Amino acid sequence: MHRRSLLILGSALGLPVWSRSGAASTAPTEARIAWPFNVGPLNPHLYSPNQMFAQSMVYEPLVHYTEGGGIVPWLARAWEISPDGRDYTFHLREGVRFSDGRPFDAPAVAANFAAVMANRARHAWLALVERIAGFDAPDAATFRLHLRTPYYPTLAELSLPRPMRFLSPAAIPPGGNTAQGIAAPIGTGPWKLERSIPGESDIFVRNETYWGPKPVLERLVVKVVPDATTRALALQSGEIDIVYGTDLLDAEAIARLGADPHLLARSSPPIGTRLLELNSARFPTDSLAVRQAVQHAVDTEAMVHSILRDAEPVAHTLFALNVPYADVGLAPVRYDPARAAALLEAAGWKLPAGGGVRQREGKSLVFDLSFVGPEALQKAVAETVQGMLLKVGISVRLVGEEPASFYARQKSGEFGMIFGDTWGPPYDPHAFLASMRAPSHADYQAQRGLAEKPEIDRRITAVVEETNEARRREDYAWLLRALHSSAVYLPISYLTNKCVQSRRFAPMPFGATQSEMPFEQLRPAT
Amino acid sequence: MTGFIARRLASLVPLLLVVSLAIFVMLHLGRGDPAMDYLRLSQIPPTDAAVAQARADLGLDRPLAVQYLAWLGDAVRLDFGHSWVTHRAVLDDLAIFVPATLELTAAALALTLALALPLGVAAALARDRWPDHLARAVAFLGVCVPNFWLGYVLILVFAVGLGWLPAMGRGGLSHLLLPAIATAAMSAGVLLRLVRASVLGHLSARHLLFARARGLPRRTVIGRHVLLNAMLPPLTAVGLTLGELLGGAMVVEVVFGWPGVGRYALQAISNRDFPALQGFVVVMTLVFVLCNLAVDIAYAWLDPRLRLGLAGR
Amino acid sequence: MPLPGPTSAWPWTLRLGLAMIVLLVLATLVGPALLSADPAAIDPAARLQPASAAHWLGTDPLGRDLLARLLAGARVSLGAVGLILVLVLAIGGTAGCAAGFLGGVVDAVLMRTCDAFMTIPTLVLALFLIGLLGTGMTNVVIAIVLSHWAWYARLIRGMTLELRQRDYIVAARVAGGSRLAIVRRHVLPAIAGQIAVLASLDLGHWMLHVAGLSFLGLGVAPPTPEWGIMISDARAYVWEAPRLIVLPGLAILLTVMGFNLVGDSLRDRLDPALGGTEAL
Repeated sequence: MHRRSLLILGSALGLPVWSRSGAASTAPTEARIAWPFNVGPLNPHLYSPNQMFAQSMVYEPLVHYTEGGGIVPWLARAWEISPDGRDYTFHLREGVRFSDGRPFDAPAVAANFAAVMANRARHAWLALVERIAGFDAPDAATFRLHLRTPYYPTLAELSLPRPMRFLSPAAIPPGGNTAQGIAAPIGTGPWKLERSIPGESDIFVRNETYWGPKPVLERLVVKVVPDATTRALALQSGEIDIVYGTDLLDAEAIARLGADPHLLARSSPPIGTRLLELNSARFPTDSLAVRQAVQHAVDTEAMVHSILRDAEPVAHTLFALNVPYADVGLAPVRYDPARAAALLEAAGWKLPAGGGVRQREGKSLVFDLSFVGPEALQKAVAETVQGMLLKVGISVRLVGEEPASFYARQKSGEFGMIFGDTWGPPYDPHAFLASMRAPSHADYQAQRGLAEKPEIDRRITAVVEETNEARRREDYAWLLRALHSSAVYLPISYLTNKCVQSRRFAPMPFGATQSEMPFEQLRPAT
Repeated sequence: MTGFIARRLASLVPLLLVVSLAIFVMLHLGRGDPAMDYLRLSQIPPTDAAVAQARADLGLDRPLAVQYLAWLGDAVRLDFGHSWVTHRAVLDDLAIFVPATLELTAAALALTLALALPLGVAAALARDRWPDHLARAVAFLGVCVPNFWLGYVLILVFAVGLGWLPAMGRGGLSHLLLPAIATAAMSAGVLLRLVRASVLGHLSARHLLFARARGLPRRTVIGRHVLLNAMLPPLTAVGLTLGELLGGAMVVEVVFGWPGVGRYALQAISNRDFPALQGFVVVMTLVFVLCNLAVDIAYAWLDPRLRLGLAGR
Repeated sequence: MPLPGPTSAWPWTLRLGLAMIVLLVLATLVGPALLSADPAAIDPAARLQPASAAHWLGTDPLGRDLLARLLAGARVSLGAVGLILVLVLAIGGTAGCAAGFLGGVVDAVLMRTCDAFMTIPTLVLALFLIGLLGTGMTNVVIAIVLSHWAWYARLIRGMTLELRQRDYIVAARVAGGSRLAIVRRHVLPAIAGQIAVLASLDLGHWMLHVAGLSFLGLGVAPPTPEWGIMISDARAYVWEAPRLIVLPGLAILLTVMGFNLVGDSLRDRLDPALGGTEAL
């Protein structure tokens, strides 16, 4: 009905008619997706403004990460690890070519590793880069990596979307340091970047010489749509076929779009955890009783239902069970306001006559909750948590700031409670735990007041060098139990990728990580 | 005419110098330590050595006067450096976003004139009768309504309710209509009142009485004497309206997902991306000044007294 | 300032505008006491409820009472506008009087500064300042004050210059009165009336500015509800609950109308030739 009146108006005014475009019966050969930014220059060895999903479309890793921590061959068809865990020998897949026709061989791999190491300081956050002692290419199909110390997550970190992926040596600038820019984004992946129109779109075309199963679609258009409401509208009007990502659409919009007969809305398995962190080094959250009371006083299920519209599962532990080593049988902390009140009473926090905010020795039970002001989801969670805690006599001051100030607080520890998500696979658990040792991370700040913090840090350092699988599992179990009982974390939900797509396409498969979007597997509906 | 334009252009130089000084002073008093922000956005750990290096790289260790001259030299060439976020030249970024905002501003200006001029004249001619009351009520509403909210009401009615026009995005004329209405409401209201008052003023002017006394028909008198003369004062107001329209467009952009410079500024604000922020303020001020210059020239073209430098004598 | 003219002392527009403002202020002061609902009390079970006896205007996505939030929001908006008024008059007044009365270098420097501030479009200047200072309601107020003071400084300087020539002030100066005392005793009272009228015209304008900047997410200060922020927060619910957008907008619209009715009526009294609404 709407469309008809629009058509009439449009044709009457001679305007381009805005309608559900591309509804033709022929099978689509291209898909249009929405993303908030341009994908960037697609330098495989650098970070922002390069978008990870797009880097992954053009560049490939030696090994590929699968859900649950599995590693499968990719550009390396096989590998061996020396018994001391310090030498990795990769046998490269043969017949692979960069999209400029150059062969993908061991010298190309070495040139890319050299480019990464030339900009080592920039990659210092990544433990693997810190541990690389050397590498060489004994023959065209073999690449060897030598580490200073054993490091069991080596393969997982080699699978990351950046920086250890491979650019055609022809595109590496003279001198070999890609940090100074690349000649062109040429990789081995299933897609080639055809062109970028700043502020509007990026267009990818199928790599016709791809070594693996080629994409079914010929083109993929990434439209720049910075606003969530606009993205939802574009899906509804048919201007966009797919929106795939963690927070690209409002939960309310996903619920509405899912009811549209032309669209299909789904959530991926967990790919991270949304958390609130409680500062154990600051009054009054330095008290275990207060932290536990906070955990019991927040009705996470109601919150996830009302704010996230159940698009994500409720989280009860720091890591979801599909994270390696995370299934250690931790007991969920249940919503129990009576228990929260009892804990506070026992710790000496009494309600003043007439109710309100609890007090002890003349001090009120008040702390700050920091969040990124413009982020609607964080704001809604913050306001809900504030309301729920007030019911047991805990007062929360909301501090909503621009991202710059928010991240400064994460680093400095100036918070009572703060948002902090885990990084998701393949960083979870090892790299996320490793970051807990760095004072510039909110996790370090939040844990700083714990008596067992030195032991936690020691075990985190040890576990990644542990070559015995059983002992490694034991260490992780100890760490996760210690963090769980310290009540430093208030898990909210397990982050998922949400995919809302046109039914002109078959349901798109989900990738195993946040940034892996397997558009090459996207095919028209049958 | 060329002489007039040259004189006006020359008079801009000292003004823009003062503006640049004001912007530079605000930049220096307002922001905290830009070296820290630079390091954060570049994801470099802020060690003492890194901070010192960043201060030297950014030229923050030079005397203020030197910094100002260097900054001015760059600003004159519209070189604001590279955004700390997109790593692209700020001017290149602005070249993408400013045209979208100008497109919306121009559409809103056209709408403002198309509404305010005829309605203002009609209201004046029908003084104290219903068309006058109606036009004034509409103008009053236009002046009072928050533009961003009007944007949502328009979306609710015309896109969601009736489905006549697209709700969001940039595209053809159909995409432009709703945001232009939301942007123009305030200025149209202001201008309508000015036109009406100006026409009323001229209607009662003495030379009109003479003209009528000479027996010229009312229509001729109004057409030839009143309207032409009465359009001059509101035209100067168009220059002021431009600032309002430009600002309005930047807010309305957010409602309609319009890819304009308002969004760019908001992004710069949330990242504390100073090169982008100063590029934004300088370029938008230049755009505003040049638009006002254009209005002045149009005004001089309509009013020979001004062109010849006789005004006020 | 005695004003001749056909307009009655209390035209209906003035009375209506005053009534609206008084009503709003009363509702802001008394409303929360009469209303049992707490604007910050969340109730996930009662999300997005339509209007009912318990919630006269329904609830928002977190189950908070919309009417209570609108009333609480009025405080923030009115408070911010009041603060802007005081600051703009204080800064603009000081600069204007100083420039007009002292003349010379002071005048030149102040007026060139005014030129600079008036050359940058207001919203661009406000965004620039918030970018430098950081977001938050306080900085929004500062940004609006700094982008508007120059207009007042200009006006007040003009008035001061004119007054300077008046006999009684010349007499006071000849008699050796201190400049500050002259300004305080003679200049300020003489221009206060005109400035009050002009300011009343700008109150609505500032209100729209505050709401607009809050809407852009620059005045964030939760959980204090502010009308512009409420509209911004409701964007995702434009289909499910349009009233979440419509009602705060109406609140802004009506308040600005109240201010403008008063301002227009006063302005018409001051100078009928300026031709405002002349009573709707």
